[in-house]
Amino acid sequence: MTPRAATEQTFLERFFARNRGPLLVSPAILVLVLMNIFPLLWSFGLSFYNYRANRMKEPVFIWFDNYAKVLSDPVVWSRFQTTAVFVAISVLLQLLVGFLLALMFEKRFPGRRVLLMLVLTPMMLSFVAVGAFFRYYYEPTFGLLSQAVKAITGEPFIVLQTPVGAIGAIIFADVWMWSPFVMLLVLAGLVSVPKHLYEAAEIDRASWWRRFRTITFPYIRGLLLLAVLFRTIETFKLFDAVFLITEGGPGTSTETIGVYVYRVAFQYFRTGESAALGYILLFAVVVLTNLYLFFVQRRAKEV
Amino acid sequence: MSHWTKLRATALAGTLAVSLGGAFGGPAAAEDVTINMAAPDWPPTRIMQDLANKEYKAKSGNNVKVVLDFIPWPDYYTRLAASLTSGEKKYNMAVSDSQWLGAFVEGGYYRKINDIIEKDPELQAIFKDLHPNLVAAYSTYPHKSENFYGFPQMPDVLVTYYRKDLFCNEEEQKAFQEKMGYKLPCTPEEMNEVDWKMWEDFGKFFRRAKGDKLAGETLNDDFYGIAYQAGKGYDFSSMQINGFIWQYGGNIWDETQAPKGQALGVVNSDIAVKAFEHYLSLLQYSPPVAKTGTMDIFKTDELFREGKLAAHIEWIGFAETTISKENSKVADKTGFAKMPGLKGADGKLSRWSNIGGQPFVLTTWTEGAALNEAVEFVKWWLSTPVQTKFAQAGGQSGLKSVFDSADYASYRPWNHAFGPSLDWQKDVWHIPEFFELLVQQQEEFDKAITGQQNAKQALDNIAAFQDKTLREAGHIQD
Repeated sequence: MTPRAATEQTFLERFFARNRGPLLVSPAILVLVLMNIFPLLWSFGLSFYNYRANRMKEPVFIWFDNYAKVLSDPVVWSRFQTTAVFVAISVLLQLLVGFLLALMFEKRFPGRRVLLMLVLTPMMLSFVAVGAFFRYYYEPTFGLLSQAVKAITGEPFIVLQTPVGAIGAIIFADVWMWSPFVMLLVLAGLVSVPKHLYEAAEIDRASWWRRFRTITFPYIRGLLLLAVLFRTIETFKLFDAVFLITEGGPGTSTETIGVYVYRVAFQYFRTGESAALGYILLFAVVVLTNLYLFFVQRRAKEV
Repeated sequence: MSHWTKLRATALAGTLAVSLGGAFGGPAAAEDVTINMAAPDWPPTRIMQDLANKEYKAKSGNNVKVVLDFIPWPDYYTRLAASLTSGEKKYNMAVSDSQWLGAFVEGGYYRKINDIIEKDPELQAIFKDLHPNLVAAYSTYPHKSENFYGFPQMPDVLVTYYRKDLFCNEEEQKAFQEKMGYKLPCTPEEMNEVDWKMWEDFGKFFRRAKGDKLAGETLNDDFYGIAYQAGKGYDFSSMQINGFIWQYGGNIWDETQAPKGQALGVVNSDIAVKAFEHYLSLLQYSPPVAKTGTMDIFKTDELFREGKLAAHIEWIGFAETTISKENSKVADKTGFAKMPGLKGADGKLSRWSNIGGQPFVLTTWTEGAALNEAVEFVKWWLSTPVQTKFAQAGGQSGLKSVFDSADYASYRPWNHAFGPSLDWQKDVWHIPEFFELLVQQQEEFDKAITGQQNAKQALDNIAAFQDKTLREAGHIQD
């Protein structure tokens, strides 16, 4: 080996030794840049252009016109309102059901493990499978729900006929699928509560409510907030269940902002406008995330 | 080198040159050419793939493989649009709904084929043999212009599917005669003359509850008389409603009249409102799913195959599955006839319907051997012998020489209704704004179907939206 080769090898060895960490994460960063950051920046650029992906015309730079158009469009606000209804009711119910399930599974009982697996199954299914399942579940001619109601009333049950029924049906599907996720987080909090605290509370003859408020809740509060954050962001982007179960109907009563973005981008091909709408959606999600972080930090200071 | 040695060397070199020439300088070697085609997943395209695999041999001697990428219908537009606009240039050809021509021609994805037709007498003969309504619908953009973009892959029309075992049952015939005062149609010839009033009577007559008798048997579930598409997705109500509007003498916005043709006053004319009200009134005799706005073409097909319906109106493309014993409970009980018409004061039927089916198109980046072979494949597909085989296997042919032949009606039980139906087919808009118009129209129709507004409100909203959108796009100017 020549002295020069020896020096090079030493240099390479030194380089790998010094940069092992960055080198190990660089493939992941490369994928992130190519698949997430670049498209994100590209679409942000598109949001300032009058551009349709299905036309030959050159994109025209129009500053904030797309944002102004989207924000002044009553259809967009109507879709945001529909989304807000879904978020408010669905997340609340997911928290409630998830919390009750967690309380149930905190205790040991025969068959707990099997039941836990069954309860967790919905969140492991694909969105399309769940959507297709519920479409048949609600179908008034063959559907299980309609057949069950018909056995009692003699009339088919057409839950998707009215806007209220259709919204309720989608919320039920969403709650069925995602309550187990909330349950998992809450359960993790519940099992982390030191048992001696409950024993001390029992000696003090503290009521169930007082034990819950002063011992259990402080331990699960952070995880509950995390569940709220995740589920709010996900429900805000609700698309699959709506598209598969009602296609946004009856009329437009269940059309969420996620479905509307899809229509603007891939059916109307108003590409620039859909990019602007996508960024407004992202902005809303970022605001929600920051609200969460604000609450978490405030809690940390209190502790 | 001796003279003899020189001669031997020259002879050897010559032999070598001739050998090499034979190997490299003779007729061109066969090329491997793959034609990738996007296709909706349903029987007509499956049959095409089957025939191509079994029988297609390129005349050029190249090893040509036609590979169809089968995409489920509900995702088809999105997947095709995503592929075309992403620039991946995956497909050389695509089976395309005719309404997408405008959007994808303007985007620069679909190739104009006038030059190909002009220099090919065989293609010119094929186009002369095609029914003119198919050429107008499947090939032209702007609609009914001389600019050609598509070759008909498979034409399709809406026809009546009906339960022969019920309509021809003696007890049912007798009961219907007593209740309605006229004979219940049974043969395809009788069913071909059905109007919407009779269709309504079928709806009333065949509605039975669980426990009632139907053709001598006790029902274990509710049974319904009639159905047609009334779904919010894609065009799953417009295709039927347009037929009603045209039969009444109304119109949709007519792009061939642009820029003078109007939407306001046409789309929401009194006649159009009356036609739409008629369409809505018949939904009460359909299964309850009609009230949800999700009774699309797949749902009525499913209900009919499950034996829940006496009759429905459906594209012919679904017929092969209906008569398949593996997929249908009514495989050997189904008859086919023309879609009902509207009976006028003179007793004649007004017959108009929205055309179905698809052309296939060439993409603009397909060049050289791939382009030549794609055109050769189209010519093979649209040749009379192959179209005859396609029809015999359950497809439809738009060639007059095939669908007018004496044997055509014998290939499949619905074929008798196909040829005559082509004369009264019209198409919906081909303009690039097609999807915006369609989505809004479907939403408004859906609100009326689910009882959130009446026919007039729906058509007024549609007319106002179309007027605004079409003016912005420059299609209406006055």
